[in-house]
Amino acid sequence: MPEAVLQPPLLSVRALVEHFKPPVGVGTYGTVFTDTTEFMSISYGDVIKVGGAHYLVLGDERERRFGMEDPKFWVKRCIELESGQYRILKLEFQETFDQHIGPLTITCHRSAAKEARILRLVAGDARFMQGQAHRDERGNLVRVLERVAGRRLDLNVEDIHADHRSYFFELYPDILERFIRACHAIHFLHSHGESHGDIRRDHLYVDHATGEYCWIDFDYGYDTTENPFGLDLFGLGNILAFITGKGVHTTQDRSQDDPAGPAITESDCSLFFRHRIVNLRKLFPYVPEDLNRVLMHYSATAEVYYETVPELLADLEPCLHTLRRA
Amino acid sequence: MDFKNVLIAVDASDNARRAVDYAATILAPAPQTRVTLLYVERAPGRDHFETDEAWLNQCRLEHDRVFDFLKDAHARLTEAGLPEEAVQERKVLCSAEPSIAQTILDVQQEGGYGTLIVGRRGLTKGEEFLFGSVSTKLVHNAKNCAVWVVQ
Repeated sequence: MPEAVLQPPLLSVRALVEHFKPPVGVGTYGTVFTDTTEFMSISYGDVIKVGGAHYLVLGDERERRFGMEDPKFWVKRCIELESGQYRILKLEFQETFDQHIGPLTITCHRSAAKEARILRLVAGDARFMQGQAHRDERGNLVRVLERVAGRRLDLNVEDIHADHRSYFFELYPDILERFIRACHAIHFLHSHGESHGDIRRDHLYVDHATGEYCWIDFDYGYDTTENPFGLDLFGLGNILAFITGKGVHTTQDRSQDDPAGPAITESDCSLFFRHRIVNLRKLFPYVPEDLNRVLMHYSATAEVYYETVPELLADLEPCLHTLRRA
Repeated sequence: MDFKNVLIAVDASDNARRAVDYAATILAPAPQTRVTLLYVERAPGRDHFETDEAWLNQCRLEHDRVFDFLKDAHARLTEAGLPEEAVQERKVLCSAEPSIAQTILDVQQEGGYGTLIVGRRGLTKGEEFLFGSVSTKLVHNAKNCAVWVVQ
């Protein structure tokens, strides 16, 4: 790999590529950007120069959810020319938008500063994606992220070819144990006054090498309320229900799959998503009562809610011990 | 605890105004009642704003809004009949931890307030889950005092 020191300064993409010889072919030589304000103008074949390094843009990142692809124009897939390593560059895009959670609308904001702060906080902590933030020539905060060498937890769980009973007794205890560790990671953020802000099952990755879980994407924030971590607790509950049920179970699915099965009422469903079943013991009677009680804290009939991760874990950790003894 | 030493926790909202009006009606005829209007201040999150200037501007706007509210609340209490010297205001700064409710309870304990009055927004269960309810927390956790929740 050529040395990182450039003599004389290489100002064109062609010159940079010829000097560093990245491990991918480049069909189009674009422009070297030192100001990332107009991120829509930055695309394949361009180079972003920031933080003393050069990043060849391969394309925009795409969010894949529910079978659809949503391009994220402010997030660029890149190769760092100096090292040849793949990187994700998140460019500054301060945005305020409404997020809909069931019938509720919450005002959220996307904040590069928040994510940069958290990246500093979690540097070296394998429970979180790694990266550094640098300011470009215009002062925009660019986050240079290492790609997580892993796969989304939800895809991993969905790809397990086993009936639920086998899954629950043979695989779920390990999954739950790792999820509990991931909850501890979220508590680490909370104990430092930070929230994750966007806890979803596709924001939790399984490391290929270790099997441990890693959180990504911390740039969402919302106005602090009496429960500064309520949204994070909500997200953790959703993931818990997903991994316990080996997927999402809805009233529509049940009426089709098991019309003669136990009656599912509103009280068995999520407080926010009235079609999602959280009373999983009704579907899978071998789900222990103590674990089901944790899930029922997220139901439409719950009167008491988890406000902190320690509260959730105080109920959840004993469930793991019960499962291990079973 | 002295139940005539009254703490009204306000947040410059319509609910808080209703709590003040209710308190004024009930407390004005009661002799030797002392009222403290408490505002627990929490600065808007800096991350929400593009620039420091925008954030500081919002902080100033909120400061002015609270100042006007407290002045109005004070006037409502004295116009109802409470003596001028029996009403005071207090502002306490709060970050994410401890919570607003805990901050109120700390002030209540520290000041020996025997009556705590708060307005209630009437949140849905979902809102209470995500955002929390100060009044609910006060009812659950207050000790050695009466809690009035005004809706």
